Amino acid sequence: MSEGGPAAARRVVVTGLGTVNASTAGGREALAGALALGRSAIGPVRSFATAGCASGLAAEVDETTLASLVDRDAARRLSRICRLALAACQLAVRDAGIAGGPGLGIVVGTEYGDFTSSRDFAHGFLRRGPAGLSPMIFPNTVMNTMASIAAIAVGAKAPSVTLNQATLAGDLAVARGTRLIADGRAEAVVAGGVDELFEDVYRRLSQMGALSPMRSRAPEGCRPFAPDHNGPVLGEGATFLVLEEREAARARGARVMAEITEAAWGNVPTAPHTGHARRGDAASAVARLLRARETARFERCYGAANGDPAVDDWERALLGRDLAAAPVGLLPPLSLAPLFGQHGGLGALRVGAAALDAERGAASVLVHGIARGGCRTALVVEPAR
Amino acid sequence: MSRPLGSRRPPGSGIREIVVSGLGVVSPYGAGVKSFWTGLAAGTCAIKPITVIDTEGFRSRIAAEIPADVMPALGVSRRRSRADRIALAAAREALADAGLEGPARREAALLIGAVGGGMLEGEDWYWGEARGVPSGRMSALRSILPLSHAETLGGRLGLTGPKETVVMACASGAASIALGADLVRAGVTPTALVGGVDALTHICFMGFNALKLLDPTPCRPFDRDRRGMSIGEAAAFLVIEDALHCRARGGRVHARLTGYGMTTDAHHVTAPHPEGEGMIHAMRQALADAGLDAARVGYVNAHGTGTPQNDRAEALALRRVFGEGGVLVSSTKSLVGHTMAAAGSVEAVATILALQHGLLPPTASLEHVDPEVPFDCLPVTARPADVAAALSNSFGFGGQNVSLVFEKAAGRE
Repeated sequence: MSEGGPAAARRVVVTGLGTVNASTAGGREALAGALALGRSAIGPVRSFATAGCASGLAAEVDETTLASLVDRDAARRLSRICRLALAACQLAVRDAGIAGGPGLGIVVGTEYGDFTSSRDFAHGFLRRGPAGLSPMIFPNTVMNTMASIAAIAVGAKAPSVTLNQATLAGDLAVARGTRLIADGRAEAVVAGGVDELFEDVYRRLSQMGALSPMRSRAPEGCRPFAPDHNGPVLGEGATFLVLEEREAARARGARVMAEITEAAWGNVPTAPHTGHARRGDAASAVARLLRARETARFERCYGAANGDPAVDDWERALLGRDLAAAPVGLLPPLSLAPLFGQHGGLGALRVGAAALDAERGAASVLVHGIARGGCRTALVVEPAR
Repeated sequence: MSRPLGSRRPPGSGIREIVVSGLGVVSPYGAGVKSFWTGLAAGTCAIKPITVIDTEGFRSRIAAEIPADVMPALGVSRRRSRADRIALAAAREALADAGLEGPARREAALLIGAVGGGMLEGEDWYWGEARGVPSGRMSALRSILPLSHAETLGGRLGLTGPKETVVMACASGAASIALGADLVRAGVTPTALVGGVDALTHICFMGFNALKLLDPTPCRPFDRDRRGMSIGEAAAFLVIEDALHCRARGGRVHARLTGYGMTTDAHHVTAPHPEGEGMIHAMRQALADAGLDAARVGYVNAHGTGTPQNDRAEALALRRVFGEGGVLVSSTKSLVGHTMAAAGSVEAVATILALQHGLLPPTASLEHVDPEVPFDCLPVTARPADVAAALSNSFGFGGQNVSLVFEKAAGRE
């Protein structure tokens, strides 16, 4: 275990998973099924017209599926992104078989939060002035509302943390959740990420050239590491893992999926929204972790590559340097973005996939991430011993 | 198989001691810790008519703004968002104050509490579009998210440690300090730049107006006649550090950060638990974490927003933890407004300065103490008091509760 890693304090295991994404909804079996099928959920956007927009693809969650997971009363009160988070958290808690209490925490990662509510709130004013402002909508404009709704639903009274992060929101949330348990701040944490597909964000990102096809001549699509990769395709959904202190999980007879033996994150200094394949990482905790683990070898590696050339190329270069002795086939890392689309829950899907691999016996799985702006993450997932 | 999860095991003593080695603030008093303390010590209320937002038609039209002449003097490009500009200036002051340079600076973690991001500039663009009068500044959208501050500071300051943008409503700034402290305690990094930032935005101003939580006059926390809060804007950063690391490099010590508590009400999205249950647990956790008896705490820098609900719940919680009149209490928000995501770090700095100077900042505009608040709330005038340990409370929408314990650098008596 490297400096200050979770195992230096309390060991952390994964005991549950809940996901609502464009491919599937359910617990660990649902994710395992979607991964085994390997079918991309990306298709033409259905929820709004994309006329006049350079992009037209996304991975959308079926509204009927979501409606079946959230009771009608909650559905009336809650915004769509809150319903996504709520449904996935409840599925995760059910999968783990735990209940709420003062020892249960929540960590939610999101990139865009609830922009739909921000738009609705602002439009109320634009239409009717101060009288048009809705006090019911305003709280949703703050990004921690998804965590708040989920905390109430599952009875989580330990820390409830929301992290705003591009590309790696879910990975970072799981890493922070691991830390909370390792440091004794919670006995269990529901950790993961969420984002929704929202027309205004989609259009502006496309206009700014942040989505495939990024003003290129190649066809639109999510093609990580391909020679003609030309941008990410947005997805939506929520995925949460239940993390627990290992001994507590054992004591209650939990069905442990895997252990998170390392969780590190750091920064590779760069300008906002940029990524540079030639910029190395000499000093972050992730670089130190990978170099220390070089000889231990990883059996599989998931990456944050999502078709954005800046992210793909930077991730390939960083891992090439930090895992110079990697076995043939480990790199480039596997990307789940072509299956589920880029969204805040994708990182938790990566960790969930690694936990399923470990449950099936994979000795050591690395979940790596780099984002524009320089945030870098690494989690090592291994069979629970 | 369901079972209730019990109380956590307090991390407790026997682990790394954390000190605060640097402070930086841009507040409604101006730029710098010195102007901040001068304003607090004098009990100057910085809440005035708003100039950066059109307030026509709103019930409350006041806030604690950063003075217009301060912004150009910050030494940060005007092309950055207002929030990024004040964050960068406050962070630079904190790092310079700590004397953190070279590798010790590069490996620092960066945790920023944020909510509004660069929304003020994004609103200009979006509203122009919505009204059919495009402003042509779509690039402002690139800085609209809260994460923009961490990206800007991480890049400009060359930090390589763990980087997080913590969005926990009005407890964001305090939470960033607490979560950063865990990284130092665990040995992940010896130093962390932690704090919060929020600039005034239309959405925040309009939202609290819509909720009818704003007082049309400067807020009066703990007053019998209080009518709500006053919003503000600020950035405040602390450099927290492993005490041994700080000593080895000859760094200064403003105070010790000896514990924190962080809980969730899991009760209501906007209202605090009526009995202050989550607040009580947060304060008790913080004291247990610090290994400190409540009787040793001489001062609480309260969340103290000035809303009837918050102040009542906080007073109930304080009574349960400290007993009636068991501790001196004041609200910094009465002086510089509720600075949202920055509030927790602004008030942490106020608490540390109070310990250092032996002078407790007052609660401005407090005339008739609410009988439901059985504490000396230090009305109007700062009071000299040699306090060894103090608590800083921050609570937020979503039932977020964070309490921080700071102790004098000289150690417990």
